[in-house]
Amino acid sequence: MKYTTQFTTIPADSLSETVAACKQRQWRYVQTLAVNGEEGIDLIYSFMDMATGLLENYKVEKLAKGTHMPSITGDFLEAFVWENEIHDLFGINFDGIAIDFHGAFYALATPEPMTVISPAQKAAREKAAKVAAAKAAKEAKAKVGQGAAADDMEAKLAGMDPEKAAKVRAAMEVKAAKAEKEEK
Amino acid sequence: MGKATVIPFGPQHPVLPEPLHLDLVVEDEKVVEAIPQIGFVHRGLEKLVETKDYNQFVYVAERICGICAMGHSLGYAETVEQLMGVEVPKRAQYLRVIWHELSRIHSHILWLGLAADAFGFESMFMHCWRLRERVLTLFEKTTGGRVILSVVCVGGVVRDIDDAQMAEVISVLEGITDEYLQIMNTLISDYSVKNRTVGVGYLSHEDALELSMVGPFARASNVNYDVRQFGKGAYGDLSDFQPILSNEGDCYGRVVVRCKEVLQSIDIIKELAAKMPAGDIAVPVKGAPAADAEACNVLEQPRGECYYYARGNGSKYLERMRMRTPTSQNIAGMVKALDGCDFADVNMIVLTIDPCISCTER
Repeated sequence: MKYTTQFTTIPADSLSETVAACKQRQWRYVQTLAVNGEEGIDLIYSFMDMATGLLENYKVEKLAKGTHMPSITGDFLEAFVWENEIHDLFGINFDGIAIDFHGAFYALATPEPMTVISPAQKAAREKAAKVAAAKAAKEAKAKVGQGAAADDMEAKLAGMDPEKAAKVRAAMEVKAAKAEKEEK
Repeated sequence: MGKATVIPFGPQHPVLPEPLHLDLVVEDEKVVEAIPQIGFVHRGLEKLVETKDYNQFVYVAERICGICAMGHSLGYAETVEQLMGVEVPKRAQYLRVIWHELSRIHSHILWLGLAADAFGFESMFMHCWRLRERVLTLFEKTTGGRVILSVVCVGGVVRDIDDAQMAEVISVLEGITDEYLQIMNTLISDYSVKNRTVGVGYLSHEDALELSMVGPFARASNVNYDVRQFGKGAYGDLSDFQPILSNEGDCYGRVVVRCKEVLQSIDIIKELAAKMPAGDIAVPVKGAPAADAEACNVLEQPRGECYYYARGNGSKYLERMRMRTPTSQNIAGMVKALDGCDFADVNMIVLTIDPCISCTER
């Protein structure tokens, strides 16, 4: 048995069907977690195939706070701990939890605290977004630069004597092939 | 049918190492229903990833729980290393496993003492915790800390164990073994211990699978699953590893499984000490996890499988860090085991899942 993991995104309305299939395949329920992202809350349900060691993580993405999701405690009773926790910390509602604490699982000073984005986190996200944007812009500029240079060469070759242009093209191809060989 | 009475158990109870509340619906000394409640030590530690960078958070992770400190720091570091594609040197992997197995030894011996105290065997509790002190002394000599070790970092470990210290570790473990065998034999063969544990809190193999139980709690019901079987890290270099299983399914079976796991951990440490490779104990880790990169990891803590999840956001702070601990997975199994038990057996059944509520609530 070799341990492997994978993440698979599934639509929210296929969750019950996916979980039922895991139950039928006798996969072991591992956990449910939530992540508060920029575009909404992601839920990740993890199951392990005990025959192969595959840890499959099913992701339901970009849920709004207050969304109603079906509880999986009908198939996996032990999930009640996580569904109650996610309800209290993230504000996702689970319909039909077998042992439902109705928001009293944790005694919290702030409702749904994991959806509160702290100034430090916001600043870190903005900085990371700026760095990523700057890197993408730099890469795009480098590509455009390469394209502009190619266009200039084509214009020069068009103005040349055809025989000479053919020789220049052949030399350029040999140079490109050599550079590619050296890269490999 | 008798009159149903609801008796509150906890959050403060002499046998509970940590606060856990159960509403026990009792009819004529039989528990007909048990409704658990936790949340007394929820500290919101996972939210601290927003303000502690991925190197600093190791120190938060190991403070989730005193008993599982080494395990959580190891599991967290491995998850971040997976996220960032960091390869830890072989020597560091061996050192991590040695400290982790020492942690398993001290955790199980601690639990054996608590279990003995739960049914009034106070002298056994004293002996177990006296023996445990020798393991904590080893921790102090090799890491500087008895409980919170602060020895794991992202990329490896911060301290090495030299040959002289390693020889001392092996010598102490060999010295512990004889005394431990006396304790173990007393626990598993004494008729008064068996009277309080055999047939108590029985969970069948099917129930254990149905409820996705993990750790010694599940292995006592013959569930053949231990994360160490996957052979990750230094566990892959062991000559042979087989989980300790029992068919008993009751409190006695859980005692036996944990007793034998202590001996197995001693053997693992001896084997890895003999094979210890030379080399670096850490690699430098630079940069930050990529935006939207995510990774998950599992680790066999003393109480069972622990699941870790991390997601990056391009900065040095993680977007999300999540630990799903074994006790939280076993709560449903505990509720099932309490169903139909005698009221006097409640504390024994609760203790045999080896509850670590600090881990459960974070």
